Amino acid sequence: MLDVHNLSKAFGGLQVTRNVSFKLEQGERRVILGPNGAGKTTLFNLLVGELKPTAGDILVGGTSISGMSVSQRSRMGLSRSYQKNNLFEDLTVRENLTLAAAAAQGKIAWLVKDSFRDRGVKEAVEEAAELVSLTDLLDTPVKAASYGNRRQLEVGIALATRPKLLLMDEPTSGVGPSMIEGFHRLLKSLPEELTVLIIEHDMDLAFDVADRITVLNFGEVVFEGTPDETRGNPVVRDIYLGDWQQDA
Amino acid sequence: MFHQTPTRSIVLVFALVALALYAIYGGYFAREIVVEIAILAILAISIDVVAGFGGMVSLCHGAIMGVSAYTYGILTAKLGYPALPSAVAAIGAAAVFGTVVGWITARTTGIYFIMATLAFGQMAYTVIFKSRWLGGDDGMGGLPRFDFDWAGIAMNKSLPFALYALLLVLLCYVAAAWVMRSAFGRTLCGIHSNEPRMRAIGVSTIIHRARAMGFSGLLAGVAGIIAGQHIQYISPELLFWTVSGEALIVVILGGLGTLIGPMIGAIAFVLLKHELSGYTDHWHIVVGLVLIATVLAGGRGLYGQIEHWMTRRKARGAAQNA
Repeated sequence: MLDVHNLSKAFGGLQVTRNVSFKLEQGERRVILGPNGAGKTTLFNLLVGELKPTAGDILVGGTSISGMSVSQRSRMGLSRSYQKNNLFEDLTVRENLTLAAAAAQGKIAWLVKDSFRDRGVKEAVEEAAELVSLTDLLDTPVKAASYGNRRQLEVGIALATRPKLLLMDEPTSGVGPSMIEGFHRLLKSLPEELTVLIIEHDMDLAFDVADRITVLNFGEVVFEGTPDETRGNPVVRDIYLGDWQQDA
Repeated sequence: MFHQTPTRSIVLVFALVALALYAIYGGYFAREIVVEIAILAILAISIDVVAGFGGMVSLCHGAIMGVSAYTYGILTAKLGYPALPSAVAAIGAAAVFGTVVGWITARTTGIYFIMATLAFGQMAYTVIFKSRWLGGDDGMGGLPRFDFDWAGIAMNKSLPFALYALLLVLLCYVAAAWVMRSAFGRTLCGIHSNEPRMRAIGVSTIIHRARAMGFSGLLAGVAGIIAGQHIQYISPELLFWTVSGEALIVVILGGLGTLIGPMIGAIAFVLLKHELSGYTDHWHIVVGLVLIATVLAGGRGLYGQIEHWMTRRKARGAAQNA
């Protein structure tokens, strides 16, 4: 499904991503772990095309997408949610989801027909709203929505495009325990054939949903394995879980 | 997001009927004013499409209008083609010019977009200003009006021409409103709201913004045809950037992103100009003060402010009933 091959990115002399390679099978749930500054978000930016790599290649379903723009990759089925909310602030929840659904279905330039009244678009909106539990808040202006609801909408926009590969950048950042539980349920209820790549700091969530875990440190893949292998691995324990376990 | 509310429809019909009655009973001078309002209103609506909905503040719409007027002039007065197909071709030329300018300038935003459009507008102005064949700064005369004699309508008379100009205002408004509440307009609003996220959900935003400039150029082209036919003479002044600046003032005065606001703004602007210039040469000062007042009041414009009061009153009424 996704084949990342020797991906590197440098900003001047600063090497942020070093020779990162990994493969995702269709339907796989992969969690990316790593301390702050490990290059997790940079990796996402490279995958969706918001940054250009200095070396390496990205293949989706066997075709290289390295030369494609952000919008072209999105139309290939790559969809991401952001670590910091990146919403249509002056619109309602429904309008946010509808823009995403209409864009993904290519209903963006009709001169006469209204994409907001299109049945296919409406179905995708309702489906996404249901998944992120925003059905009752569809007509709320984003400005009036709570932080937690905005986090849900952030993921909702990505889901409304009905992606093949979903990249979620810390979906639970800044939300409370009850909402983390909500995201947990959301991840479990996603369609099985959907491939998901998540950056996540909540360990319970990460270890529970992941099929496999990739650990980044200083831009490098330092470990890849199943959640059980990750728990027992001394390198991972050292750079990442060590601190976490002392805290706990 | 654009909504053609009942209030907007009522204001549109009311304004057009009032202008038509003014033209019918006001004599020759009133008809001249009505045509002036019509040209400015269409130009302002076309700017509202890109500025109000797409967030693209353009200073080249005067030039786009001028491209249409000059194309019409070349095809009719210079080359002798019939008026109606020439007008269609001229409007098409304006749309193409708008698309090309849009395609290049859409790579920029904010002040850089304004400056890039200004540069394109001034280039078009200079080309025409320097061209002997097009009459240079003397302009070009002999542009025909449409011939509707077969229908018993004498277009060379002031009243039929004024009513024809108003009809085109209605058509342009309906076209703009329709497109703004279609998928095309929704996408444009999304780009205005958050362009990077629109790209992330799969929209080629540069292409879409270029298309929007093209559609807007088409409307500006209609204004160019009326301008050319009105006094049957055109000059490079039509393309100068201050024409775009004035139309932009009209959009903000009336209410950015409302479509009906620019029309109200055009009426207010032209009437203020004609009433005040009877008393003082410095009528711009009064327009300036009104503009400052509208901007300080929240920047909603004359129409936007009234709509704001109405929704607030409605909300208060609903709160009391609850």
